[in-house]
Amino acid sequence: MARSALQGLKVLDLAWVVAGPLVGRALADFGATVIRVESSKRVDTARVLGPFPNGEFDNQASVGFEGCNANKFGITLDLGRQEARGVVRDLAVWADVVIESFLPGQMARFELDYPRLKAISSRLIMLSSSLTGQTGPTAQLAGFGNIGAALSGLTQIVGREGEKPIGPYGPYTDYVAPRFGLLALLAALDRRRRTGEGCHLDISQVEGAVTFLAPQVLDYQANGRIAKCQGNRDDHFAPNGVFRTKEKDRWVAITARDDAEWHALAMLIGGPALVEDGRLADLASRKQREDELEVIIEAWTIHHDAFEVERLLQAAGVPAHIAATSADIIADPQLKAIGSFVRLPHPRFGETVFDAARTRLSETPARYERPAPTFGRDNEHVLHEILGYSQDRISALHDTGVLT
Amino acid sequence: LLLRLVERADVFIESSNPGVMVGLDLDYERLRKVNPRLVYVSITAFGAEGPKAHYADSELIVWAAAGPLALCRTPDALPVRISVPQAYLHAASDAACGALIALLARAETGFGQHVEASAQVSSTLCTLFAHLAEAVGHRDYSVGAASSSMHKGHSKLDLSGSGSRTEKTKWLARDGLVELHVGLGSAGGRFANALFAWLSEIGACPDEFISWDWVTLPQRILDGEITLDQVERARDLVGEVLARYTRDELVAVAQARGFMLAPLLTTADLLDSAQLNARGFFVPVDEAGRLRALSAPFRSCGADIANLRPAPAIGEHNAEVFAELGLSRAALQNLTERKIV
Repeated sequence: MARSALQGLKVLDLAWVVAGPLVGRALADFGATVIRVESSKRVDTARVLGPFPNGEFDNQASVGFEGCNANKFGITLDLGRQEARGVVRDLAVWADVVIESFLPGQMARFELDYPRLKAISSRLIMLSSSLTGQTGPTAQLAGFGNIGAALSGLTQIVGREGEKPIGPYGPYTDYVAPRFGLLALLAALDRRRRTGEGCHLDISQVEGAVTFLAPQVLDYQANGRIAKCQGNRDDHFAPNGVFRTKEKDRWVAITARDDAEWHALAMLIGGPALVEDGRLADLASRKQREDELEVIIEAWTIHHDAFEVERLLQAAGVPAHIAATSADIIADPQLKAIGSFVRLPHPRFGETVFDAARTRLSETPARYERPAPTFGRDNEHVLHEILGYSQDRISALHDTGVLT
Repeated sequence: LLLRLVERADVFIESSNPGVMVGLDLDYERLRKVNPRLVYVSITAFGAEGPKAHYADSELIVWAAAGPLALCRTPDALPVRISVPQAYLHAASDAACGALIALLARAETGFGQHVEASAQVSSTLCTLFAHLAEAVGHRDYSVGAASSSMHKGHSKLDLSGSGSRTEKTKWLARDGLVELHVGLGSAGGRFANALFAWLSEIGACPDEFISWDWVTLPQRILDGEITLDQVERARDLVGEVLARYTRDELVAVAQARGFMLAPLLTTADLLDSAQLNARGFFVPVDEAGRLRALSAPFRSCGADIANLRPAPAIGEHNAEVFAELGLSRAALQNLTERKIV
């Protein structure tokens, strides 16, 4: 079997919740040895997030935690204890990379900030992920990614036009930030390969998300136009909407990207009369009568099964897809064909499931070797095999509650 | 000409519909023969192969297929997207990461490879793992906001820190909207406690809620000691108090008291953000005489980060690039006249 892309890379992962741990997850998928440090005294939020097997709460069975930490080794350390921080320092000497996502300043209070760790591990690359960055007036603002979404302008632009915004689903900046963190970290690894030098990377969740709004920020600068809620509509396409179907709470999304696609759609739902309706012939007229347009489409979709709408429209070359629920996604033939879901045996609940790596490499593919750790699963392996601690020393750490 | 560029390139990036590059004889198998060190990056909507590879796509269609659309509901249950494109940005970021991983692998193996990202796969992350609920038998985990809060049983309690399944998380302050999740359990509970400590200090907390520990509230709800209606009443009370203050006042209190609250900023507010400006996030770039502020999302201590340059005008660097290939000025002139360049 080919070697893994990041084989030999050693990562100490002190991050928690979602945005930070996803970076180490990607490194582990491509062959890095990642040691995730957590404490069972202050349970990682991802462990209570779910979903849970059969809907039964179990903080060692959260699919959210699995998704962020599969493939990693896991140890428990109470970082409030001096001895635990000693273990972290030993791991930092072992590591090429340290990842953390505490409130800015916390690593310094632990005496584990970059200058201190660099002093004992000179080539170290450290990635700090936080809500608004390590510096600046709001550096100390705590928040999950829903707060990040509000601060980055995203919450303001989800909802119907003229109504109170509802914001994106969940902590949106948690989905954006790990991509920027991983990108910066990989670039820093390449730089270290060439120069021998490490560095400290400061990733702000909000800054990543604002970068995902770069066209809208530029639109404001150039044209004075402020991005706002517009339901499912789009300036460049009509229709671009989500419609009811025959079954209750079953929705289908439909777009016509140009007049030809509108004609194909019109032929299906209204025949030649609708195709030839000059009042809807081009984008400008359809945008002008968009309410009416959507009523016409829904009057047709409401009599059809959502999958049937998708099938008929796609067969005619018109973009359409059901609004997929979890059941649809698990059964999705495309995601199955790509191999999007990984199932591994799990010692506690039979089988675990998580998403495969979100980028596919032909020669050094991702590998999935272990489920996310239960509390302290790899304490022995890490402390004895990797750090070379004696059994006596490990027992002492255990007995004094450092390994909790 | 393109193959001569490929010979010298580290990375090749394409985002055409599946099959197009094969038709142009520029697919991965062809180009790796020209340059075995090439990292070839493909970005598609659904994937290069598979039953939906040739699906007609749009931002909305990918968002629908990946799961976040069905999760995000208006109060009357309409699934809504984010009003600006996002799905392909997630895919682009994943593709960029894949390219760098392949470059690091190449440093060891000497060979390039094919890197693929699909917007559908990339966007499934935007469900916060709700898309996997059915795979483990967590029924109705993904219930929309309209119906989420009134169900009974532990499987329906929203224990997330962000309030991903809670209806009331946006509030009207005196001068605009703020985001605040009054959370339950170990993720959000301590922040709710900090909020209620403040409410009680300003005399705005009825006795009914004063003794609540929001961290242990889920168990008390399950035990039937506290009803979800009471929780909703407590949240409504929060709304009444927030309405008396300005957003700046609330942010100051939140930061001092350690609960999580933020104003809903607009794209206009961003350019004036004290935080973003303190960190030099917006970089002024001269784009053919027009001054534009571009985003610079990377900060590092110890590593220099490349200067931002404006996007090129059409053909802006033709002379530079083709000179590197060894093309004479006359040859380039000829190609330009024949409309090949």
